[in-house]
Amino acid sequence: MNKRQARLFAIGSTVVAAVAFLALTIDSHRQFPALTNAQNITPAVTHGKNVWHKNNCINCHTLFGEGAYYAPDLTKIAQQRGAPYLQAYLRDPSKFYDEQRHRRLMPKQDMTDAEIADLVAFLDWVSKVDNQGWPPRPILVTGAGVAITGTRSADQAAAVSRSAPPPGPESLPSDKDPMALGEIVFRTVSPACTACHSLVPGANMAGPSLAGVATRAQQIVSSPEYKGKAKDVEGYLSESITSPSAHLVPGAMYSANGVSFMPATFGKDLTPDQVAHLSAYLASFK
Amino acid sequence: MRYRSQSVAYGYFAVAMVLFGLQLVFGLLSAAKYLGPDSLLYILPFDVTKVVHTNLLIVWVLTGFMGATYWMVPDESRTELHSVKIAYIQLILWTLMGVSAVVGYLFRYGTGNKLLEQPLPHKIVIVICMLLFLYNVGMTIWKSRRFTTTEGVLVLGLGLAALLYLPALLEYENYTVSIFYRWWTIHLWVEGVWEMIQGGFLAYLLIRLSGADREVMEKWLYVIVGLVLIAGILGTAHHYYWVGVPAYWLPIGGIFSALEPLALIGMAIYAYSAMRRSGLAHPNTLALHWTIGSTVFTLFGAGLLGLAHTFPDVNKWTHGTLITAMHGHAAFYGAYAMIVLAMITFALPTMTPGRSERGSSIGYWAFWMQLGGMFGMTLSFATAGIAQVYLERILGMGYLDVQLKIQVHFLMLLATASLFSVGVGLFIFDFFRYAPRFDVGNEKQPTLRPDTVRPAPIS
Ligand code: HEC
Ligand code: HEC
Ligand code: HEM
Ligand code: HEM
Ligand SMILES: [Fe+2]
Repeated sequence: MNKRQARLFAIGSTVVAAVAFLALTIDSHRQFPALTNAQNITPAVTHGKNVWHKNNCINCHTLFGEGAYYAPDLTKIAQQRGAPYLQAYLRDPSKFYDEQRHRRLMPKQDMTDAEIADLVAFLDWVSKVDNQGWPPRPILVTGAGVAITGTRSADQAAAVSRSAPPPGPESLPSDKDPMALGEIVFRTVSPACTACHSLVPGANMAGPSLAGVATRAQQIVSSPEYKGKAKDVEGYLSESITSPSAHLVPGAMYSANGVSFMPATFGKDLTPDQVAHLSAYLASFK
Repeated sequence: MRYRSQSVAYGYFAVAMVLFGLQLVFGLLSAAKYLGPDSLLYILPFDVTKVVHTNLLIVWVLTGFMGATYWMVPDESRTELHSVKIAYIQLILWTLMGVSAVVGYLFRYGTGNKLLEQPLPHKIVIVICMLLFLYNVGMTIWKSRRFTTTEGVLVLGLGLAALLYLPALLEYENYTVSIFYRWWTIHLWVEGVWEMIQGGFLAYLLIRLSGADREVMEKWLYVIVGLVLIAGILGTAHHYYWVGVPAYWLPIGGIFSALEPLALIGMAIYAYSAMRRSGLAHPNTLALHWTIGSTVFTLFGAGLLGLAHTFPDVNKWTHGTLITAMHGHAAFYGAYAMIVLAMITFALPTMTPGRSERGSSIGYWAFWMQLGGMFGMTLSFATAGIAQVYLERILGMGYLDVQLKIQVHFLMLLATASLFSVGVGLFIFDFFRYAPRFDVGNEKQPTLRPDTVRPAPIS
């Protein structure tokens, strides 16, 4: 090969690659609207995007996995948390996390309530973009991972392992143990209960720890303060899932103005059977 | 120094050195915040220190590129620069742009778009500076009527770099589309046209430092450029996996970005065989260390560590973790910091007479401490990143709880980064130790005959 041929190789390969790249770019533009639900980019979403940029969120967080690695990825955060929680959190993160405990804290940003609302609308739009299913499993802000079910009692463990179905969204025969089915729903429903609840005593995340929730539920339904409709433990648990605001666990980081930060979407997204399984499962945490 | 106007390079190099030092201050601050708690949380939070860190990096590396080009083009075209005045105006404008951008970031004035945070007025000044620069260099070459392949590759790389910055001036309604075009700038820079720039400097340095034949070197330079671009252009797809674009980008990204290391292997062989075959023809062995070191560290940081997470099946787990920071540091340092430091080390003895032609012992300490420090930083980010991927992404532990568990790696990061910073400090000290004096023709003629000298030991 001489110098002229080498030059031809350089120019030729560049041109071929560039032409292919441009053709694919044009085709991508054809598909962007459908993949990103462009019709849902409302003025609020666009404004929320500007708020995102103005506050330099990208230099602490990642979005679509791009940004900085100092704070959690936010691609699916809107689905994991829901709007009421995010709005309250963004108003003052220090009410939700303790810098001494995690050695990191998000500084309160200088944003109006309207800006926060649009920012949350933007994050909601982001969470619905078709991005090849990434992340492959939810990225949580806090939580102890495998230890989430660490305090499972002996008979629970036995009950679960007896039926031990493979985890996953595939349809399961309904003759399985309701507690075992409940555990699967607890992990796999979207948003996952495990993103906000641990089962370890005292380990409160975005929601209270559900360790001992059955005992607590018993006390609540028999207390005169209780204004909800449930009569027994499983009834209280079902109510907590389908209409979270019916009874509120006290704490500024759990609710504001009588509205729970737990998403109110489960009543609609879960079948009555699934709610019953969840209640059965949670009722075992005495 | 053969041509008086080459002295403008000194100003560029001096600015680059100062900004390099500042970059590290903000890097160390950012790393300290990983350990937390952060006593500056409401004065200088992480997002500010990080944006200053990365922007200073880009500004000083580009300053170095410009200075090195002003040094190299007169040599290649055998002429004075078209206009020394334009070169200095450009330097002042550029430095003001860089410094005011950084001051702005301290007050959170920026676009909040990763690595392209420069506000629009600054972006426009950047474009103006690039145009002045390209005009000045272009006119120099045009007037000389001598145009070598080496400088051609360099100048084309610089011109395309300016062109690829233009998409960053636009605003996009759709966040996914804005990500799509962000990579036209960032990826096509570092894995495309900047590698042409690196290749141009590399060929120049090898031709001067070794006795290698220009025709042969330039032929292989073309081959390397071809390999860079055929893989690099379509390799952009390795940033398109999870951002809301069509699925066909996944296999394209996997295949073509996996070919990118070929060009980097080519560069390392290129440098090694030039020395091996032709021997040493220049006394500046320190510059040789930086030159060969750059190709080897690029192969490690960009080639090997880039390949490590470029396949979709791996990237699915590592995307957006400290693994990316591991690769970003090693690659940027090896490919672009080191090649600028090589050009500076090569040019320095003739601009600042008084120092040894072969490089001072402080210069060697600077080289080895930086290399050791950066290697250690890479390992710290790597071990932290592997733990993060396993605990957070695979076991499903919460982000904040994982960051607590990997604190020991952050301590290691700070320790190795300190070593690195001392190395950089020594380099800067060595740079400013001798006052510049711009005498034409003070360059010692090569006293060594190629055939009698063995290649310098690399280690
Ligand atoms: C200085 C770094 C920093 C900046 C800037 C920053 N964050 Fe955060 N963010 C954090 C950290 C750290 C956490 C982890 C929780 C905590 O410590 O508050 C977090 C957590 C979050 C969460 C998750 C809270 C939860 O419990 O689910 C959201 C949502 C969020 N940030 C949104 C934003 C948005 C939107 C912006 C820009 C307006 C932003 N952040 C800017 C550091 C930052
Ligand atoms: C976005 C976070 C979030 C998610 C996701 C979430 N919760 Fe909650 N949950 C909360 C908060 C906050 C509270 C406390 C406020 C309240 O009482 O509603 C709560 C309360 C509860 C309670 C009442 C606890 C008590 O001590 O009285 C139960 C039971 C419960 N959640 C179950 C679930 C189940 C089951 C799921 C999954 C289907 C789930 N949660 C998903 C945030 C969440
Ligand atoms: C004292 C030495 C240094 C320290 C302590 C340091 C530390 C850091 C930290 C903490 C980050 C933020 C990562 C994050 O987003 O969480 C970062 C980002 C970055 N640094 Fe450095 N750095 C140093 C030197 C350098 C050098 C010499 C270079 C290049 C030559 C460099 C290039 C980068 C790049 C490219 C990023 C962005 C990486 C990414 O987003 O993936 N740094 N650095
Ligand atoms: C030649 C010099 C190179 C430099 C300076 C460099 C630098 C960087 C930087 C700074 C990032 C982070 C960008 C961001 O998130 O904004 C990055 C990401 C990445 N690089 Fe490189 N790179 C180089 C070469 C390569 C090569 C040759 C490969 C593949 C073989 C590669 C593969 C990747 C991948 C896969 C990512 C995405 C990481 C993620 O998913 O988070 N890089 N690179
Ligand atoms: Fe890339």
